[in-house]
Amino acid sequence: MAQKLLEINKVGKSYGDSVILSNANLVINEGEFIALVGMSGGGKSTLLRMLAGLEETSAGSIIQEGNKIHGLNKEARVMFQEDRLLPWMNVTDNVLLDKKGKQAVAEAAQLLEQVGLSQYSTKIPTQLSGGQRQRVALARALMSHPRLLLLDEPLGALDALTRTKMQELIRKVCQDKAITTFLVTHDINEAVRMADRIAVIKNGTIWRIVENPYRGKESLGDKEKEVEISEEILAEILE
Amino acid sequence: MKNLKKSFIVVLLLFWCGVAVYGWHLTREDAGSSSLKNVVVGYQAGDEFYVSKIRGQFVKKMKAKGYNVKFKEFQNGAAMMQALASGNVDYARVGDTPPVSALASGTKLTYVAAGGTKAKGSGILIHKNSSIKTLADLKGKKVAYTKGTSSQYMLLRALKVAGLSNDDITWVNLDSDAASVAYSKGKVDAWANWDPSVAQVEITENSKLLVDGTTTKALNRSFIVSPTTYASKNKTLSKLIIKYTEQDMKWANKNHSKLIKKMSADLKLSKKVVRRSITRRTFSMSSMSKSVVKEEQEIANVFYDNNILTKKINVSKHVQYLK
Amino acid sequence: MENIETNENYHFSLKLKNSLPWLIPVFLIAFWQVACNLSWVNETLLPSPIDVVTNGIKLFKKGELQENMSISLYRATAGLLIGGGLGFVLGFINGVSHTTRLLFDSTIQMLRNIPHLALIPLIILWLGIGESAKISLVALGCLFPMYINTYHGITSVDPKLIEMGKSYELSKKDLFVKVIFPGALPTILMGVRYALGVMWTTLIVAETISASSGIGYMSTNAEQFMDMKTIVLCILIYALLGKSSDFIAKNLEDIFLEWRAIERRDTNGSEASGDK
Repeated sequence: MAQKLLEINKVGKSYGDSVILSNANLVINEGEFIALVGMSGGGKSTLLRMLAGLEETSAGSIIQEGNKIHGLNKEARVMFQEDRLLPWMNVTDNVLLDKKGKQAVAEAAQLLEQVGLSQYSTKIPTQLSGGQRQRVALARALMSHPRLLLLDEPLGALDALTRTKMQELIRKVCQDKAITTFLVTHDINEAVRMADRIAVIKNGTIWRIVENPYRGKESLGDKEKEVEISEEILAEILE
Repeated sequence: MKNLKKSFIVVLLLFWCGVAVYGWHLTREDAGSSSLKNVVVGYQAGDEFYVSKIRGQFVKKMKAKGYNVKFKEFQNGAAMMQALASGNVDYARVGDTPPVSALASGTKLTYVAAGGTKAKGSGILIHKNSSIKTLADLKGKKVAYTKGTSSQYMLLRALKVAGLSNDDITWVNLDSDAASVAYSKGKVDAWANWDPSVAQVEITENSKLLVDGTTTKALNRSFIVSPTTYASKNKTLSKLIIKYTEQDMKWANKNHSKLIKKMSADLKLSKKVVRRSITRRTFSMSSMSKSVVKEEQEIANVFYDNNILTKKINVSKHVQYLK
Repeated sequence: MENIETNENYHFSLKLKNSLPWLIPVFLIAFWQVACNLSWVNETLLPSPIDVVTNGIKLFKKGELQENMSISLYRATAGLLIGGGLGFVLGFINGVSHTTRLLFDSTIQMLRNIPHLALIPLIILWLGIGESAKISLVALGCLFPMYINTYHGITSVDPKLIEMGKSYELSKKDLFVKVIFPGALPTILMGVRYALGVMWTTLIVAETISASSGIGYMSTNAEQFMDMKTIVLCILIYALLGKSSDFIAKNLEDIFLEWRAIERRDTNGSEASGDK
C-alpha cells in the first residue's frame, strides 16, 4: 500500500456568490500520477492552485503529511499553462532561477540534457518553440526537487505531435524521479495515456475516481483499451 | 560589431561625464575667497557696473577694503528686481522704470545712487523713408514697445508732447527680439527703444530717432538700488561703491576707444554701433539728489495716472541721500 | 552565387536605410545655404549655415563655446541625475507599495502639470539665483517622466511572471532583481529617453535665471542684441546635443534590452529538433 502524501478534505471554493467547487474529496498517494479531467471552468485549475497554496480554500482543508496547507505549498512546484519563462534570461538561467553555485549549474545542465535541450542552454526563450519552452519550464520545476509536481494544462497550447512527445517525456521523467504528479487537463486521452488514476470533476465536485489499469507499462498501453476507457469517462462527464 | 558599439557608447558616456565635471569646475571658479564679505552686484551688459567690471579696478579696490565683489549678469530689469526682492542681489544697476514697478508690487528697495542718462539714445525709431515726419504723424500708427520698461514711459511722454491721446496710436507690446523682427518687416511703423539697440537699428535698418529723451523728458536714467534693510545697514559700503564707480565712469568718459573695443567684442555688436551709443551718453555716478527723485516721481505719477500702476508711490520715502 | 548576390543587395539597401534619416536635414541645410547665397532671405534675419559655422569656430577659438557647453552639460547632467534618481525611487516605491501610492500619487500628478516657467519666481525665492536654482529646475523637469515611467513599468510587469516567482519561492530581493526590474526596464528606459529630452528644454529656461554662462545664456544674450548668428548656432547646438543624448539612450536600450532584439532565428525544424 502506497503512502498517503496529501488529502483533499471536503474542499470548497467560492468567489462571492458563485460557487466553483464544493465538497471535493481526494487522496493523493506518494509517487502516483493522478489526472484531473472535466469541462472548462469546472474548477480544475482552481483546485490545483489551492494545492499549490496560490489560493486559499473557502471550505474544508487540504492536509499534506499532517499539516494543513496555508499559504505557499513549499513542497510543490507548478508548471503553468503558459511557460512563464523570464524572457530576459537564457535557458540555463531560467532553470537555475535563484539557485547559485557549481553544483546547481551542473544539475541544471543535467536536467536540460534529460529534457533534450543541452544544445540550447544559452538561447533565450524567444528563440525556442512552444514545446521547447515547456521543456525548459519542466526542467525549472524539477530543479527544486518538489515532492509534488502540479501540471496546469501545460500542453494545452501545443500541436498534436509535440504534445504526444511531451506526454511521453513528462511521464518518463516523473516515473524516473518518482515524483508525485497532479495533472489538470481537459484532454481525456491525455489523462488516460499518462495517469495512474483519473479524477473526474463534474457539477462542481469530484464526481468519480477511475483506476486506470492500462497505464504504467513501458508503452503507453493498449490503444483499444485506452479508447474504451476514454469514451467511458467522456460519456460520464457529458451525461 | 556589438562589442565595438558597446565600447563606443561607454567612451561617449565617459566623455560626457568628463565634460560635465569640467563644467562643474568652471562654475566653482568664481566661488570666491571666504575671509572677505561677499557683495553681489547685479548688472546688465553695457551699463555702469559693466564698465567697472571690465576695467577691473573696482574689484581690486573693494578687495582692499575687505569686500569680495561678485558680478551677476541679468537679461532685463524685471529679473533683477525679482532677484533683489529675494535678497539674492545686494546692489542692482537698473533703468528708471523697473524700480518704480517693483515698489508698486511691494518690493522693499532703496535708491542708493543715480547715474547718467541715455536721453540722446532713447526715443522712437522710424525708418528714414517713413511717412512719419513729426510726432503728430504718429496718429493712427502702430508703435512697438515693451511693457514695464522705459519704452512705455517714453511713448507716454512723446504722446503728451505731441498733444495726442493714448488712444490715437495702436500700442504693440513686444519683447525686444520680437519687436526687432516686426520693425524690420514693417509690421509696426515705429519702435520705442534705447541704446545700444537704437544705434544698431539706426545703422542696419536705415533708421533714425523721430524724437529722443531730450525732448520727451523721458531721460532713461540709471540707478543703483539695494534691498532696504541691506541699504540701511551698509551705508559705508554704499558710499564706497559710489566712490569707486564714479572713478570708473570718469575713466570711461576718457577712454572711449578701449571701451568700444571691449564692448563690441562682448556684446557682439559692430564698433560703429557701440561708438555711436557711447559717444552720445555721459557716464556718471553720484549719490541721490532731489532733482533725480523728482524725475522718478514723475514716472510713478504718469504710470499711476495711466493705470499701469495700481498704487501711488512716494519715491522720496525710498531714497538714501548719502554724503 | 545567388546567395552572395542577395547578400550584396541586402547590404546596399541597409546603407540606404541608414542614410535615409539624414536626407531631410542635409537637404534643408543645402537649401538654406542656397537661399542665403541667392539673397532670397535677409541675412540679418537668417544668416547662412556657413556664417553660423564660422561664428561657431570663432567662439570655439576664444574658448567661449566649449566653456559654455561644458557648464550647460554639467547643469543638465546634475539635474538629470538628481531628478531622474528621485523620480526612479518615488516611482519604484509607489509601484510596489499601495499605501505610499495613495499618499503620494495624486500630489505628484498635480505638480506634474505645472509649467516649469511658472515655477521660476518660486525657485528664485527659495534657492536664489545660483547653480542650485538652475539644477533644481532641470531636476524637476526630469523627475516626472522618470517617475511616471518607473511607476508604470513596475505596475505593468506581467502578474503571471510575478506569481511564478513567488510560487518558486524567490526572495523579495530576487523577485525584484530577476523579475520585476527587468520586466519594467523597457518602460524605465523609455522614461530615461523622455527625461533626456525634457532635460535640454528645461535647461534653456533654467539658464535665463541670471546666468552668466551656458548655452542658454549665450542664446538669450545674443537675442538681446539681435546676434542672429549666435542664436542660430545655439539652436543647432541644442539640436545636436538632443540628438546625441537620444542616440546614447537608444543604444543603452539596445544593450540592456538585447533579449528583445533577438529574433526567433531558428524557425526551421525547431518543433522536432532536440528530441531523441
